Amino acid sequence: MRDIAFGQYYPADSVIHKLDSRIKLILVVVYVVGVFLVNSFISYIPVALFLLSTILLSKVSLIKVMKSIKGILFIIMFTSLLNIFFNKVDNVLWSWGFLVITDGGLKIAAKLALRLLLLVAGTSMLTFTTTPMGITDGLESIMKPLKLIKVPVHDIAITMSITLRFIPILIEEIDKIIMAQKARGASFDTGGLVKRIKAYLPVLIPLFVSAFRRADELALAMDARCYNATQNRTKLKELKCKKRDLIALFITTIYLILVITIPMFFPIILDFFSK
Amino acid sequence: MDNIIEINDVSVTYQKDSSVIHAISHLTLNIKRGSFVAILGRNGSGKSTLAKLLNASLLPDSGEIFVDGINTTNEERAFDIRSKVGMVFQNPDNQMVATIIEDDLAFGPENLGIPREEIRKRVDWALKTVGMYEHRMRATQKLSGGQKQRVAIAAVLAMSPEVLILDEATAMLDPRGRSEVMDTARKLNKEKNITVVLITHYMDEAVDVDEIVVLDSGCIATKGSPLEVFEQIDIIKNTGLEFPTATETSLKLRGLGYDIPVVLTDESLVEALCQLK
Repeated sequence: MRDIAFGQYYPADSVIHKLDSRIKLILVVVYVVGVFLVNSFISYIPVALFLLSTILLSKVSLIKVMKSIKGILFIIMFTSLLNIFFNKVDNVLWSWGFLVITDGGLKIAAKLALRLLLLVAGTSMLTFTTTPMGITDGLESIMKPLKLIKVPVHDIAITMSITLRFIPILIEEIDKIIMAQKARGASFDTGGLVKRIKAYLPVLIPLFVSAFRRADELALAMDARCYNATQNRTKLKELKCKKRDLIALFITTIYLILVITIPMFFPIILDFFSK
Repeated sequence: MDNIIEINDVSVTYQKDSSVIHAISHLTLNIKRGSFVAILGRNGSGKSTLAKLLNASLLPDSGEIFVDGINTTNEERAFDIRSKVGMVFQNPDNQMVATIIEDDLAFGPENLGIPREEIRKRVDWALKTVGMYEHRMRATQKLSGGQKQRVAIAAVLAMSPEVLILDEATAMLDPRGRSEVMDTARKLNKEKNITVVLITHYMDEAVDVDEIVVLDSGCIATKGSPLEVFEQIDIIKNTGLEFPTATETSLKLRGLGYDIPVVLTDESLVEALCQLK
């Protein structure tokens, strides 16, 4: 089976794992907002520090985090390359025909790559440290006010958790179908781009058919276990805000303040040390 | 005797192209409380349709079904029936909702609105009963087929059912997984007095049940104790089922003129062979 780390739970006994899932969801949103507020390299320092300390506290192995980034490495490289060549700012460093590299372009590309890296690594920390059921319960609890305007909050939440559960199953299925098609002489790595894309059609169709069949069986099984029997659904695991959740919230607030203010204070600090 | 399930003259038909197919036709059957019943039949004999009828997933076109005295057509009590009749299906992956085992077990009781402390007790009890308690925090994905089906059985147990229906629950398992599931079902039947309805096409699984019901094109071909059923050689052959290996051997030996009884298990075959002169 292919090892897909993104969206998978990594069981460990850590403070981050124990945090209330609602708080974790809020923290991730704040973290992402922070990443997008960054506009100079210096502001990446608090972001990176925040992420690094979260990873260390969570006891998730660094290799696992790297693997989650591996999946989007291609996208990062592709977008950075485009940004290097299409941003023509400041001094020209190198040019060949229509291809021009400027130092401004390099800076923009580097910032973008960093931003994507931090974004994916940070958000995958949520799924590493929270079970899909935890995420579901957290989302449901946060979205509770929407129930008043008749939004099926619980159904949305359970759909999400089932999606996460079926990612590895469907990936396994893709591998099986590819092997079956290969055994019948299909080729996936010869020919041009169009031919290769076409070769995946006989993989996608059986995949969809089987996904529908699975959905049908799952619906039957959920019905058999009394899904929607009562409006007053109970929960095995109660969400409780504890002291550590407040501390986490406090630290994250400091993080956001640092991200915003560091570009303003940095010249002052630099000034102070140079005296 | 006290019947947990009563099926009175039930028929189910459906349209396929232009012809009408009788999935179940005029079936009458009672299942005793606390018994272990096997329903045998080849593909298309109507056995899975029968399973769906028993937990009110499917309603009969004619006739009536009572589960613990409740008519399955009574829509208001459909969930009562479903909490009394637990179902385990063929594909273990397609019946689990959560990634973590104990979360999956809690799904049923949570749906019923059972208080938190009670759910905790039930989940722990169910996991211990099927021997999966040490694994409770693990991901369902990492288990073997037999373990997954035992978790699926535990998930049903957490709803404290009266009847456990295994709908081809062993069909996708290897021999070891199959015996794990069968042992668990037998234990539940004997120790917890849960009625078990085993739907299968493996004859070998049906040798030590209380009653066998053989279905063929929606009707009961024959029923009775395993010995009574397996002695009706012609009927079994006509329904396209295969005899247990020991039974098959004893039948062939009888055909060759040896004086040997029809046996069900390997042990009794050995005994019978040793007494041959």
